Amino acid sequence: MAKIRSDYESGLFSRFLSWLTGGSTRLDDDMARSMDDQAGPARMQAQQSAHAREMERDARLAAMTEQEKSMYAHMHQWAQTKGKRFSTWLYRIAAVVICVSIIVLLVSTAAKLPPYGSPDNPANNEVSERYIEKGMQETGAVNIVAGMILDYRAFDTLGESNVLFIAAVTVLTLLRVTPSHGGKPSTSQLEAECDDRMYEPKNDLILQHQANFLVPLILLFGIYGLMNGHLGPGGGFGGGAIMGAALILYLNAFGFKKTERFFTYKTFTIVSVAALSFYAVSKAYSFFTGANHLPSFITPGTPGMLFSAGLIPYLNIAVGMVVCCTMYAFYTLFRKGDM
Amino acid sequence: MIDIIRLIACIILTVLGLGCLVTGVVGVYRFKYALNRIHAGALLDTVGILLMLLGVICATGLNVTSAKILVVIAFLWLTSPVSGHLIGRLEITINDELDQSMTVIDRETVAHEKDSDILDEIKEAN
Repeated sequence: MAKIRSDYESGLFSRFLSWLTGGSTRLDDDMARSMDDQAGPARMQAQQSAHAREMERDARLAAMTEQEKSMYAHMHQWAQTKGKRFSTWLYRIAAVVICVSIIVLLVSTAAKLPPYGSPDNPANNEVSERYIEKGMQETGAVNIVAGMILDYRAFDTLGESNVLFIAAVTVLTLLRVTPSHGGKPSTSQLEAECDDRMYEPKNDLILQHQANFLVPLILLFGIYGLMNGHLGPGGGFGGGAIMGAALILYLNAFGFKKTERFFTYKTFTIVSVAALSFYAVSKAYSFFTGANHLPSFITPGTPGMLFSAGLIPYLNIAVGMVVCCTMYAFYTLFRKGDM
Repeated sequence: MIDIIRLIACIILTVLGLGCLVTGVVGVYRFKYALNRIHAGALLDTVGILLMLLGVICATGLNVTSAKILVVIAFLWLTSPVSGHLIGRLEITINDELDQSMTVIDRETVAHEKDSDILDEIKEAN
């Protein structure tokens, strides 16, 4: 049987508990009781002296605040007059010093550059020599630039196309409106379409007639640039951009209902991914056979023909498809949030 | 002889074209309302560029390059007036204070055409 302690409240644990909960301890209680016991004049006196002390403290605080205020005003005035002049001078001197040092740096660098067009320049090494002398023979491309970016340095171009694709995917993730569930368009989609209708003038006869005439021509020019990349100026990036511009013009003239017949989200995915995979796989094959000196069915062909230069025309088409899809996707996503 | 005539024609056309361009640029900066500015810009886009490119044709003579420049002129004359028209239409659609700057005769048709289209779309969707 447990012993019932009479001094339970003064135990260590209970005091700890009351301290923990912030309640009053026995000491506090005692002090409060003794305060109450002090009666009459002594207490009055104590109150009066406390009041006097309080007044004194208030006066001191007010004086300090006044002092602080005057100090701030002084500083403010200094910043408005002398400080302003000082900082202006500092800024001017710093600007002159920085400009002069940058100019000296750049001019001294430019003075040490090798002379323009000199055959001894570091850029004129055996690499560029080989590109110029044997480029057509090895790649089959009349256009040296196409031979360089799509044959010697095809890996770099694959990275560039991937950058475009990743940018398109990022915009798609950020801006695409929630797609529909089960055939019917969702509310946010309808709202986006309404907003689009409000701010974009459509069904413009003049624009439609002009687009009827121009869009096929622009597309044709883009395809020409795409197919002509290894023979002359053009190539995947330029041709793809022109084709994307033609698609955007068509969309502006005839609206989403017409473009949805041939270009949707699905088309974008399939075309981009197929083009990039074709690029990666074909170049992987070409690198593998080339590095291991294996026989390959990719031959340079006759330079100057349309289907020559090995993989270059096909790679140009792949890059052009990616660029075209990316441009069109950017436009539609920023305009309506969907394709 | 022909070279001298070509040179003189080139100079005349280029100077005229530059005059048009300067007029257009001054107009674009000085006019107060958007539709006026579009008007000035259209002058710049069509006549200025036409005269400049004709001057270039005179300078090069008749060959493949000048034929290409003719195609460029045709393309610009097809596209830039249409873009000016579209910008003007957008201005009419958006600017609510159009009545303050000019007399509006036929604004209602444009607005109503658009609203009825939206209503039809919503009905179809539902």
